[in-house]
Amino acid sequence: MAYMAMSLHAVNHRLTNIPVKQLPPLASSLAASLSNCGELLSTPQSQKSKSESDNAVQVHKLMTRLTSLLQDRTVEGRWTAVVLVKALVEAGQWEILRGSEPFVRGLMGILAKPDPVATKKMSIITLTRIFHLTYQYPTLVREITTPSLPGFITAALNLISIKPSSEPVRKLKQNAPLVDVVLNAFAELIARHPTTFRPFTGQIHSVLQAIIGSTEPTYPEPILEIAQQLFVSLHNCAPKNTSGEEWKNACRMTISSIHATSSYVLRAVVEQWESVDPSLRQLSLPQNYSQEVGNGPDALGLGSWQGLPAGVNRLVVLLRMLSKFLKTATASSVVVPLGSILDLSARLNMVTYPSDGDIQANPQIGRAEREHLLTELPRIHVASLRLLVDLVKAFDDAILPVAQTILEQALWVFRAEKFSREVRAAVYDLVRVLLIHMGPCMTKQGVSSLTAVLRSCCHDLLPPSNNQTAAAEKPDPKSKSKSSQTTVNADSFLNPGLKPGRQLSSSPSFTDLKRAASELLVATLSHAPTELITPALRAEIDRTIIMTSDKNAMLASVLNPFTNMQGRGVSTSIMPFVARSYPAEMEVEALIRPRMPVLINGPGANGYSATDDDDEEAEEKTEAMLAPEPSTEASGFLKPSSTPSLHQDMMDVEMTPATSSPPLNKRSYAQEVEAQNPAHFVTTEGAQSKKVRVEPLETTKTPAQPSLGAASPATFTGTAAISVPSSSITATAAPQPVAPMTTSQPRAVAAAAQTTGDDDDDDDESDDEMPILNIDPDTDDEEEDE
Amino acid sequence: MLSECFIASTVASGKTPASASLRDVGICVHEFQPTLNLRSTFKKSSTAANCLAVSPSHVFAAQSEKAIVHVYSREKGNQEATVPFPERIRSLAVAGGKNGDVVVLGTEGGRLILWETCTGRQIATTASHLRPVTSLVVDPTSNFILSGSSDASIHVWSLLDLLSFTKPPSGRDRQAPNSPIRTFSNHRAAITSIAVGHSAGRYNIAVSIAEDSTAIAWDYRTGRLLRTFLLSANATCLTLDPVDRAFYVGYADGSIQSVDFYKSQSVQHPLHDPSLHSTPVQPPAEDRWAPPSPDSGAAHTLTLSYDGMTLLSGHQNGKVLSWNVGRKKYASTVADYTHPITNLLMLPPNGLFHPSLDLTRMSHTIVKPRYDHTLSEASQSVGTVPADYTFSTHLLPTASNPSSTTKPNPFTEAFTHAYFPESMLEEGLAELAAFDQGTANANGSSSSSMTHGITDEEVFAKDAQIAQLEGALTTLKKKASINETARQTTTDEVTKLRADLANLQDYIHELHDKQEQAQREKILRQARKAERETRRREAWFAAEKKGKKGDVVLKKLDAEDTVMTSDSDDQSSDE
Repeated sequence: MAYMAMSLHAVNHRLTNIPVKQLPPLASSLAASLSNCGELLSTPQSQKSKSESDNAVQVHKLMTRLTSLLQDRTVEGRWTAVVLVKALVEAGQWEILRGSEPFVRGLMGILAKPDPVATKKMSIITLTRIFHLTYQYPTLVREITTPSLPGFITAALNLISIKPSSEPVRKLKQNAPLVDVVLNAFAELIARHPTTFRPFTGQIHSVLQAIIGSTEPTYPEPILEIAQQLFVSLHNCAPKNTSGEEWKNACRMTISSIHATSSYVLRAVVEQWESVDPSLRQLSLPQNYSQEVGNGPDALGLGSWQGLPAGVNRLVVLLRMLSKFLKTATASSVVVPLGSILDLSARLNMVTYPSDGDIQANPQIGRAEREHLLTELPRIHVASLRLLVDLVKAFDDAILPVAQTILEQALWVFRAEKFSREVRAAVYDLVRVLLIHMGPCMTKQGVSSLTAVLRSCCHDLLPPSNNQTAAAEKPDPKSKSKSSQTTVNADSFLNPGLKPGRQLSSSPSFTDLKRAASELLVATLSHAPTELITPALRAEIDRTIIMTSDKNAMLASVLNPFTNMQGRGVSTSIMPFVARSYPAEMEVEALIRPRMPVLINGPGANGYSATDDDDEEAEEKTEAMLAPEPSTEASGFLKPSSTPSLHQDMMDVEMTPATSSPPLNKRSYAQEVEAQNPAHFVTTEGAQSKKVRVEPLETTKTPAQPSLGAASPATFTGTAAISVPSSSITATAAPQPVAPMTTSQPRAVAAAAQTTGDDDDDDDESDDEMPILNIDPDTDDEEEDE
Repeated sequence: MLSECFIASTVASGKTPASASLRDVGICVHEFQPTLNLRSTFKKSSTAANCLAVSPSHVFAAQSEKAIVHVYSREKGNQEATVPFPERIRSLAVAGGKNGDVVVLGTEGGRLILWETCTGRQIATTASHLRPVTSLVVDPTSNFILSGSSDASIHVWSLLDLLSFTKPPSGRDRQAPNSPIRTFSNHRAAITSIAVGHSAGRYNIAVSIAEDSTAIAWDYRTGRLLRTFLLSANATCLTLDPVDRAFYVGYADGSIQSVDFYKSQSVQHPLHDPSLHSTPVQPPAEDRWAPPSPDSGAAHTLTLSYDGMTLLSGHQNGKVLSWNVGRKKYASTVADYTHPITNLLMLPPNGLFHPSLDLTRMSHTIVKPRYDHTLSEASQSVGTVPADYTFSTHLLPTASNPSSTTKPNPFTEAFTHAYFPESMLEEGLAELAAFDQGTANANGSSSSSMTHGITDEEVFAKDAQIAQLEGALTTLKKKASINETARQTTTDEVTKLRADLANLQDYIHELHDKQEQAQREKILRQARKAERETRRREAWFAAEKKGKKGDVVLKKLDAEDTVMTSDSDDQSSDE
């Protein structure tokens, strides 16, 4: 607190004494120290003690200074004020927010001044942040947000557009650098304050239409994206209870707009598609084929376009917009027209690049336009595949009824257009998200239909190697004519060793494609039934995984090993490669040396008696299992200590006897039931006498604590014979050393028995605390001793 | 705040509850941690065992001895709908992952009915069970349904096969559509309960108990038997440890037994050790935990807390008992609902920060099954999704920005930053510096990109600037024209020079020709001279012979020669 008071004082001092012109370079450090004073700024000002009242004075001083700086004559002063106000508001929360009304006025003033773009941008962000932070406090919303929000919306709209007349339509300014920020701010606020935004929806809508529908200067991707999101969010402002309807209408209009646009764009080919929606079947508009392709204003009110490139752009923009409908939060329950969306994507994905030139061409359209369309097809398909990815992500497990349909569409596109890198990446992504949901249920046919995709996936992941092409040429050396030899790169003969390294560094890396491909491999291995993947394909996948050393894929391969259906041969695993590549990774450690069930063991060597075991042995063993009662008293609700008690591990046994004996006495009905069992008495006796034994054990701190895991059988006998008063020697039970220890154990017990001279104790102790030992020889020995 | 609740349902009985708050109540939501208290209740329900299911938004309760499912809204806390079905419902489960959009119903007649609560689509399967379907579970991947029946068999169904519009290309053509993909028939008597493991991988297990006093752990992906446990009596209910280390069964006398998978020290996973598959195992009787009093009645249902350390059991006498798993004994009585408790479901805890479990959408209301519709599979063309297949849901704002997968938006970055990101501050500083310069030389040309307000001064400044620019433009144009002319002249000169050069070359050729000609003429002249000389000599000799004066003849000949050669210039040089 003292530090904060000091740094607050320092900030105040600098703000008041340094000339305003020189403040901007300091703003960053001032803001950092302000944001570190969060605790002080957000404490209620009670003014009880002197120091607190001093702090309150400092805070007040700071706020006054910032308010005046916001109205400073120089741009530097205003800029600094904006930065510090944001820092102050973030740090102070409610305490500052309740007095932020002057800030809001000052910031709004900046929007009207001819300040640099950066200052305005920051003002908009700060204002949005203040409105956002006040949202959780209804009183502040009433006092600050609601009165100033309309002014803010108007000011922000004025920055990016011009309102020509009284009509509620706006004209977008050319070259307005603030479009991005303004739209982001609106998108942030509109869902929270729908009623305040309602009068402005017409104006915002017209601005968005201009941005989305603009064909001549197309807007950059981020602006388009936020414009689409805001367009979708406009349904929030619909009057009460109609927002769902509004959303549905906007979504339907987008779909029909895409249909209309694609009717023009795809006119060079004859479509095979027939809509499932009867209302769309008659949708064959008469077109003037002699004119250049183009379309007037459509259902969404977007502007007209001319020419195929503009048409394809429009189609892609609209498809993205439809994706946004699925990604943007809605105001209430909405009805997603799943059938119509899939109908639309089926239409677009059905027109594919002809594999053997047998596309059904429209004879009325020239060859130039058709070829142009065919080269643009991958771009359209990427957009429609991305739409399907978003659909699957939005619906996750509910996608199951249509998952097969979507997968088929993806495969149509993949078969025809796998030459395009973007199409491949999009198909990989789509197949991956589908596999997560439908993978386990896939049939053999379903998996084999993915073979081509998986092969090309492996191909994309492998580094380009010239050796491969050389190897491919090798099998037919005779056919190699002299003319082909001349085309062979001479460098590959001269210096084959250097080549790959040089090539790798220079070849462009398609990170998106690589990411999609490796994720698809992981999803395939972990979700699809691995026994249905053909051995050849599986070998190729494993080879790719090893070559690329992708940890996730390696783990997925190891966790889902190839199972030999016929039962012939040995199942192989790439486990050694994982162990070599990532020896220090936690996942690999957990995989190779699992801790949970195998290393932590109960006292018995083999817990359950098989039914053919004789009774005596069974009794002895169950006794061993009953005796320790791990404590869970200490483990509260979801405390980290709560797990071990399923398995009687050592730590618990050492701690519990003291606590476990009182409950034993309370066993009312339980004791009645178990009274017939003679073994039970042995147990209780043991537990009670153990109480005596435990105290010296804990105080003397015998060297053989349970954590001494590495003790070898040899040291075992030694320590037990010489000094250890009891047989509380333990070892972490690695499965292997069990056999040798059984031979050494009896002697240890005997020695221990002599030193302590209490047979019963030892019997119990050895049962409790030497988990790895086979009880059978142990108890036999005991009986001999007695 | 972190809290954990369980939900319990009862079947109606003759007794009347002691407390007024429990009157008419069929389903209770009870806070279990941190404090025990009744959160909310749903009325007018009487459910048999395995007939209650909970989704994040709704509670589905199949009514005992009726063909009706009650749907309660968890948000509003009221009964939202009563959905009738053609057959009595004997078991109920929710599929569809964390949203729980598909309700699976097991009917008296041995078929399953699937109802998509967001679309209203409904699918019925073949009546593959010969007796009523008494237990239903859906696996964690929401891909398989396991249905147990009193005919002693358990069917495994593929949800994808049942729900798909497009039937996947399958080699199962010999089977009727909508039939199970696998049947597990190792039990000898009616199936009582099934529990499924918590793994999403291929090696997930299922545990089933039946009235033949056995519990069987098996692999539902292959139908392979993993382990048979011989229980001491007919178990009535079953639940599985969250880590799949053990399972717990309840008996008719109210006792509970824990059966630990990891008792052996086999290096292999004990359930997947093939040498043990055929050996039935008898769990020790000491693992059976006795109830506090013998009058608690049969344990009808079991559930485990989130941490797996507390087991709750619902009993015939209406009590919910809690058991300490670690200490393997009865701990306390949690609640008393008077009526026999048939279903206990532990709800996932609230308040855990777990973004991947956050719902991305929510269905506030259900869509009742539609019968008379194209959605019933018979009437529609194969393989297409009908256009009126609509999905009603509420898309929720997600904490993680959906666009975060692409690239971070500078706006959101600045928005959530403690003040402003460094890059934005630097940009601002640079712009301030530029702005400063722009204002310093008022008619500087760099300020145009900074200002965007529409003030008068600015307009004037702009006008001035435009005028200035225009002036500059004209001067530039002038300069350009001058340059142009200069260039023109130089090219002209060059061409002239070229022509001169050609002329000179021609002249040189001419001179050469002349020189040659002159040479030739000279040779000719010399020849002629020599000839003339000889002629003069001959003439002189002839005159001398005749006796005449030779010199006279010579003079006469000379005179002739001078006339002949007077025009040639080299005559004098020759002489």
